[in-house]
Amino acid sequence: MVKGMATQETDVVIVGAGAAGSVFAAILAEAGKDVLILETGPARELDDLYSSQLWARKLKWAEPYVAETNPADSLGFNFNAGRGVGGAAVHHYGVWPRYHENDFNMQTQFGQALDWPIEYEDLRPWYDRVQADVGVAGDAEAEIWRPPGEPYPLPPVPQFPHGRILAGGFEKLGMNVAPVPVAILTRPYKGRPACIWDGWCDAGCPTGALANPLVEFLPRARQAGAQIQVDSHVTRVLTDGKGQRASGIEYYDANGKRHEVRAKIVVLTAFNVENARILLNSSNGGDGSLANSSGLVGAYLMSHPTVIHSGLFEEDTQNHLGITGGQIINQDHFKKNEGKGAFGSRQWIGGLALKPNDLLGIGMSRIDIIGKDLRPFMQRAAKKIAQIVAITEDHPLRENRIELADQKDAFGFPLARIRYQTSPDGMGLWQKAAPEGLEIMKAAGAVEAWHGPKVAQHILGGTIMGSDPAASVTNSYGQAHDVDNLFIGGGGLFPTSSAVNSTFTIHAVAMRSADYLVKNWSGITA
Amino acid sequence: MVSTNRRNLLRGAGLGLFSFTVAGVATWLTPREARARGAELQILTADEARLLEAIGEAFAPGATDAGIAWFIDQQLSVPANDSLLMARYFNVPPPFADFYRASMNALNGLSSARFDKPFTELMAAEAEGLLPALLGAEVEGWQGPPALLVYLVLRNDAVDVVYGTVEGIEALDIPYMAHILPPSKW
Repeated sequence: MVKGMATQETDVVIVGAGAAGSVFAAILAEAGKDVLILETGPARELDDLYSSQLWARKLKWAEPYVAETNPADSLGFNFNAGRGVGGAAVHHYGVWPRYHENDFNMQTQFGQALDWPIEYEDLRPWYDRVQADVGVAGDAEAEIWRPPGEPYPLPPVPQFPHGRILAGGFEKLGMNVAPVPVAILTRPYKGRPACIWDGWCDAGCPTGALANPLVEFLPRARQAGAQIQVDSHVTRVLTDGKGQRASGIEYYDANGKRHEVRAKIVVLTAFNVENARILLNSSNGGDGSLANSSGLVGAYLMSHPTVIHSGLFEEDTQNHLGITGGQIINQDHFKKNEGKGAFGSRQWIGGLALKPNDLLGIGMSRIDIIGKDLRPFMQRAAKKIAQIVAITEDHPLRENRIELADQKDAFGFPLARIRYQTSPDGMGLWQKAAPEGLEIMKAAGAVEAWHGPKVAQHILGGTIMGSDPAASVTNSYGQAHDVDNLFIGGGGLFPTSSAVNSTFTIHAVAMRSADYLVKNWSGITA
Repeated sequence: MVSTNRRNLLRGAGLGLFSFTVAGVATWLTPREARARGAELQILTADEARLLEAIGEAFAPGATDAGIAWFIDQQLSVPANDSLLMARYFNVPPPFADFYRASMNALNGLSSARFDKPFTELMAAEAEGLLPALLGAEVEGWQGPPALLVYLVLRNDAVDVVYGTVEGIEALDIPYMAHILPPSKW
């Protein structure tokens, strides 16, 4: 033991207080386990969530720095990731569609991409449980493409003028539209208030209307005795020396002091890039990294290639009203029949509540407008603009991966580096969406319409689950094939990306894993 | 919901207040006030501040008076994880001051090559005419960070200070509708 080092002991140590970590913590603590959550970022409560697109940046990542080898095809890691208690889910937009049945067996059904080790039906009970726990709003009947499941516990989001205008465009083209399913309360639920539709979701919702970890699973975890320790930078998983049993984790505190936590179970629920970095920096007892006999820790990194369309209308769109995640959804393109070079699914969402500045702000929609032309544009667009966004499916490519960089962090451990290029089919799907969006805008009555470049949202893969230990990192419960008492949570587990927002599925997978862990506690910890 | 009228602002809810030093005394000011009162710069030189103002003004008129140089200077003085600069979204490696200095040098170099004078001496039309060159695939004579990245970061800084504040949003006749106004201790 290092001189001056402090060692803690617990049943379960969870690395990362975001969406998956909060679910693990609640379920395990409620089952009577001693739970310690280590979070690299600061403490955060609802009343820290200030309504400002400037302040919202503090919720995102900056350091330790994650380099990308292909900036021209950036994953936008810093914007997508989160830092602090609640993680990225604190600034997520609460759009919660389910993955589709055909997302789980793409290799078997289509000879493309990868299979999950489970089918939709295996996960369905946890989708239903999670939506009842947090309160999801939607119209299940209107979502004609929705996989089987319990109806939503809350009525759908209301439509504001920009949503209504855009819905007309979809409908004119014969496309189906439904209210977007959201983990945002449309009426009071379990003591939480309904949303007031002011569009500050990206800055974090302080009212509790949006189901981020601060309003449901972390309070439950704390109530059941879980402890959250912030400014704790986990660097490695520690093992029995042979890399077959995790004995705990190593972390450094804000003062740079090294600590160890001894635990019966280690759960990695940091963002997928940091999960992979921790494993790659951890030893398997030999000359390899931990849980990596497949060589796939870090591999199969994916995102959702995304395109945002803007339209200017003659009528007042009232685009400041609503939620950042939008009002309407279309999933007509989920049959994975888009043709050669564009295999996969794509989704439309419309009616995003807008702010003037920031990455998704009105000003950013036309980066070419500057100088004397800027204010007239901003004044017009503030009243007349409306947006739709297409999310398309990326595919798992082994060469897209998280790896260790030459540079090191403050504690001497290699930083993560992202090596990524959008999959060819992902680009093909994006290229189908781009012109279609202009048609939708035209049909909706836009007097001007344009779209932005390809951007990425939702970073997935890196520690994928699978049935074959030689072809995946974990089983369907996120349990490492190589290390029985090491679990992983989050979007890093996903073998395919689908074309839907991932947070609902992250919750459902984590809850299923946590239930399994509780049920099989004795065997796993023996 | 918190209403955001003048009274709230005068009460000190203080959207956009930062710590600045004026005549040796630390105080909370907006970047606009900091500029007007001649607050000390912490990271940037006076010449760099003037250059940032010229660039910001070319992107978004009003950026100079809104205190773009003082905003950036103050944000460069805090750790990257606490920074409010858009640079973090564009994956600029910390410390961000290195990026800003390299960007300013590159823009000055481009200005000298095209107009035989530094950026601060360009006429408004010249500056507005120069900046779109950064959107091109290749910028002849450019020596610095990727030109598109420089354009995006600096343009967004200007948009932030002109349109991202309570007064900037309300000037567009959009209700701010804050749940919680940011505290003065950013």
